Amino acid sequence: MAKDVAISLQDVTFTYEGDVVALRNLNLTAHKGEFVVVLGANGAGKSTLCYLLSGIVPHIYGGRRRGHVSAAGLDPWDEPLYVTSQHCGVLMQDPEVQLFMPTLKAELAFGPANLGMPRHEIIRRSQAALALVRLEGLEEHNPRDLSGGQKQRAALAAVLTMNPRVLVLDEPTSQLDPLGRWEVVEAIERLKQKGDLTIVMTTHETEEILRLADQILVLEQGETVLQGTPSEVFTQAARLEKVGVKTPALILAQSKLCKREASSPGEQQVTFTIPEVAGQIHESIEASRLVVRPDALPRPQRAALDAPVILEARHLTVEYPGPPRVVALRDVDVQIRRGEFVGIVGQNGSGKSTLVKCFVGLLRPKKGEILFKGESIRKLSVGDMARRVGLVLQNPDYQLFTASCQDEIRFGLRNVGVPPEEMEQRVEEALCLVGLSEEADLFPFRLSFGDRRKLAVAATMALNPQVLIMDEPTTAQDHHGRYQLAELAKRFHEEKQGTVLMITHDVDLIARYAHRLIVLREGQVLLDGPTAEVFTQADELKKSFIVPPVAVQLAAELAPLGVPAHVMTMEDLYQVLVPQRDGGEVV
Amino acid sequence: MQPIFRYTHLDTPIHRLHPWVKMAYVLFTLVLVMYPVKEGDMSILLIWLGFSAMMWAVARIELRRFTMLLRILIGTFIFLILIQGFTYRGGNTPLIVLGHLKLWEADLGVITKEGVWFGLVLCVRILVATSSLPLFVMTTPTSAIMTAMGKLHVPQTATFMFVSALSFTTLIFEMWGSIVDAQKLRAFDIDSMNFVKRAVKAYIPIITPLILLLFRKANDFQIAMETKGFGAPIVPTEIETLTARPVDYLWLAFIVGLFVLCTVLKFA
Repeated sequence: MAKDVAISLQDVTFTYEGDVVALRNLNLTAHKGEFVVVLGANGAGKSTLCYLLSGIVPHIYGGRRRGHVSAAGLDPWDEPLYVTSQHCGVLMQDPEVQLFMPTLKAELAFGPANLGMPRHEIIRRSQAALALVRLEGLEEHNPRDLSGGQKQRAALAAVLTMNPRVLVLDEPTSQLDPLGRWEVVEAIERLKQKGDLTIVMTTHETEEILRLADQILVLEQGETVLQGTPSEVFTQAARLEKVGVKTPALILAQSKLCKREASSPGEQQVTFTIPEVAGQIHESIEASRLVVRPDALPRPQRAALDAPVILEARHLTVEYPGPPRVVALRDVDVQIRRGEFVGIVGQNGSGKSTLVKCFVGLLRPKKGEILFKGESIRKLSVGDMARRVGLVLQNPDYQLFTASCQDEIRFGLRNVGVPPEEMEQRVEEALCLVGLSEEADLFPFRLSFGDRRKLAVAATMALNPQVLIMDEPTTAQDHHGRYQLAELAKRFHEEKQGTVLMITHDVDLIARYAHRLIVLREGQVLLDGPTAEVFTQADELKKSFIVPPVAVQLAAELAPLGVPAHVMTMEDLYQVLVPQRDGGEVV
Repeated sequence: MQPIFRYTHLDTPIHRLHPWVKMAYVLFTLVLVMYPVKEGDMSILLIWLGFSAMMWAVARIELRRFTMLLRILIGTFIFLILIQGFTYRGGNTPLIVLGHLKLWEADLGVITKEGVWFGLVLCVRILVATSSLPLFVMTTPTSAIMTAMGKLHVPQTATFMFVSALSFTTLIFEMWGSIVDAQKLRAFDIDSMNFVKRAVKAYIPIITPLILLLFRKANDFQIAMETKGFGAPIVPTEIETLTARPVDYLWLAFIVGLFVLCTVLKFA
């Protein structure tokens, strides 16, 4: 068996230059064909583990190591990177920085050509890799013109042409839309089925890897907190929650509502379908272990239909000249009322960003009109609009440039001409709102990514907008951090009676916060209505590769038993389905 | 909008030209603009610019990319025309008189016709110089550039520094647009500022995040390239097979001929 060992880490501790300990006493053994998933909150050491296996550490990032490391039979510290990379390939999060050649064909040939492979071998490897990731026929395309999922698959194919025996995937789906994620996971699944590649993948998306994982390693601050098969790990929901790892919703629902104890954690089933869990809940209800209390869940708050319209798009059509010419929005009519909390979903390229760019005046449509409180914004400058509608972008690093957090907030206020004494008060309030008062004098780039996003929110909020738009507030956040920005938006909505628009791919986020949901597809409004109603239209949502949250799907299956249709989150479901003690008393 | 240095995948006579022919065109262009410049050089520069324009047209490069180049250079052009207008030493035909401030041979209070003309010659010279390289990289795939430079025994590291710089320009264009948008959202509207204001204060909020982001991206690029064997002490395989056709020799002969003609006209 020992000869099949593809990865071996024994008592490994790694410290970056500057004495930051990233991994402590780590042990891991993976055999040929095994799929290892590494979970953990941001900063747990997942990426460092990827770097250590693939030789990026120590050849690009320096540091000190203790313990034994072997990947595909090599110690990455003893070999130059071009040797390690022929045995252990690495795919990173951002596909944009991994693609640099003008055609896909050249991209795939780049690695083996650097190694002096014969031309016919390069062509053979390229064709095999393209077939595996299903990108045949796109050889002459510029990789930068591909969709997000295609780009990441192209980057994966480029790694595969190096013919590695170990493949390291560092959050490969974290920057993709639902379709892109599905495409990449499907490609990874095919690689696993081939059986000759050992795969190590880091992720926050536990649902995604359930059916793939053979072994799971959970890290916290560089140390192993859990390690074992999916059933051994995912049945310890409380422990996972503590270290910031999400337990897949169906496992959680099954363990909370069905209470089927196995003799040991490893024997419990962890791969379920919605009908299976719904069936088990059904059984529990029939056996009087659960009671359905439809009235326990209050009806969702509906935005007042008589509230005045604050933002409106009328017959909006936007085209990008290209080439190729792209019609981003086609005759879109949308009205946003004051006090609404609206979610906007849709695939990449569906027109979401274009719509909000029109709302804030960054794009000036040639056809159609944007109105703020009934008046056209055509004559308003971007600065005028910034005081009315605030947009928080996905990447805060596009805006941060000053020496301190407070200067960062002052910058916008100065641009809109706020008097100095009022400015200081607003800076203080904004920093306090996002919980960064202590960091007021800190250089913004020294903050974590999550805190930099909060600073960007503070800078926007300080301008006192009446409408707040957030673009993908959960991007690059771990399980605990994912709702931090949404909570800030909720406070703005509740305390200042502000209007909120949230662009996201995260259906759980929508279910938790948005009262109204707009689904865009190919530049048109596909669905628009109260969130609960929109989520019931599963067939229409499928057209945009959107799957309603697990709680909504379970509620739909259990509707004949009286579970109300406005169940949106797992917390809602637990309110409606209440365990009953033997004596009939509700717990 | 496509960045100016991005390769355009088309099948035109210019795209099919051997990279060496296009490299010769770039080289001769650079030599031509390096010649000491005189007031009377306009016709020579216009001949070469006309040839470049013909190549752009044959290569079917969109006009918008050329106008983008012009937009980048327009500030420099205005500056050159004004500076030469006021300070050109051979200027003796006043166009606009604002006052008199003698400094050596020039009167700094007067814009002269000769000075404006010389400023225009310098502008055309810059345009000639900057239009050749984009044409080369927009019509030649990176892999062909690498092979062509390899055959000329240019070190692989130098070649790759050149082609990865080209990849970076695409990224820089995209990031520039995103940063400008992000700052506009904080009421910092660079587009509505005049030239002087832009030059004085507008670029810090744009350039600072750009540089910080580029450092980060450069690191990721390095990882992506080195984990694909870049820098290995191995002779890389040439993916593109480059063969010179009779038409390549004809183009080369034409370019050399035109260069000789311009040189003769210049020094005659």
